[in-house]
Amino acid sequence: MMPLWLGVAPFALAYAVLARDAGLSIVETQALSLLVFAGSAQVSAVGLFGRGVGGLEIVLTTFLLNVRHVLYGMSLGRVVPMTKRERLIGAYLLTDEAYGVSVARGARSFPFVLGTEVSLFLVWNVMTLVGALVGGVIPDPERLGVDFVFPVAFLALLVPLLRLKVDVAVALVAGVAAWLLAKWLPGGVPVLGAGVSGALLGAWLTR
Amino acid sequence: MSFWPICLAMLAVTFGSRLAGLLVRIRLPPFWLRFLHFVPIAVFAALIAPSLEGSRGEGGIRFAAAGLAGVVAWRTRHLALTIAVGLAAFWLLRLA
Repeated sequence: MMPLWLGVAPFALAYAVLARDAGLSIVETQALSLLVFAGSAQVSAVGLFGRGVGGLEIVLTTFLLNVRHVLYGMSLGRVVPMTKRERLIGAYLLTDEAYGVSVARGARSFPFVLGTEVSLFLVWNVMTLVGALVGGVIPDPERLGVDFVFPVAFLALLVPLLRLKVDVAVALVAGVAAWLLAKWLPGGVPVLGAGVSGALLGAWLTR
Repeated sequence: MSFWPICLAMLAVTFGSRLAGLLVRIRLPPFWLRFLHFVPIAVFAALIAPSLEGSRGEGGIRFAAAGLAGVVAWRTRHLALTIAVGLAAFWLLRLA
């Protein structure tokens, strides 16, 4: 878990600094972390807030960025037995990172998943508060390379999943597709499009 | 523009997506089970690729640092070590 906190903490700091920079109050900055709890969506949302984009577009972008969680939930629900109440709690706290760790470590029990999720939630929200409070002091988080934590953390999650040649092929195709799509399409569309097509390709190649 | 309606709508679409997947209880055909196996691989790769280059013209050193981190992840399968090596390489290459 430690490495994920190390990845999440600077990401949360960067989010909070960007949110304060976009004109959100400390309470509003914290509310997104407590209620929405979705890093990439929060970062993109405060970017749109700062540019004065309409509410509908912000919500649609959030949906596009987070609809991939449908797939995480289906995958997680398949390997971890959960009661209805556990599904409600598990769903509220479900993130890329919690899903990645649970799948990569072969989680088979709800307490493992919940522990992962709650620890990430706490780190995310504490670091959001810290970032919101010191917001004005850090002028440009990317200058520190904070945003580089994001791809490296996912790389650390991805590589152990690559066991067969077809896994590598799917990762390469999805990566290149997302990179190309990101040049023209906003927010979560590249992730969703490349993610779904990559997984379809893998399922078709192994038929 | 009002913050709170937007915040609550963001909560609704996010929690809705997270819950929908967990509430689906159907027996999936083999094709879709294999599909689910490839979902994390494809999605993680799709999250990585567009964010690798960055927006500060540091694409070269970011690719190099990520490549080194990838080798560490491949040889050790160690999360913390991978992230630490990736960031350390990035900062050192910047200074160089």
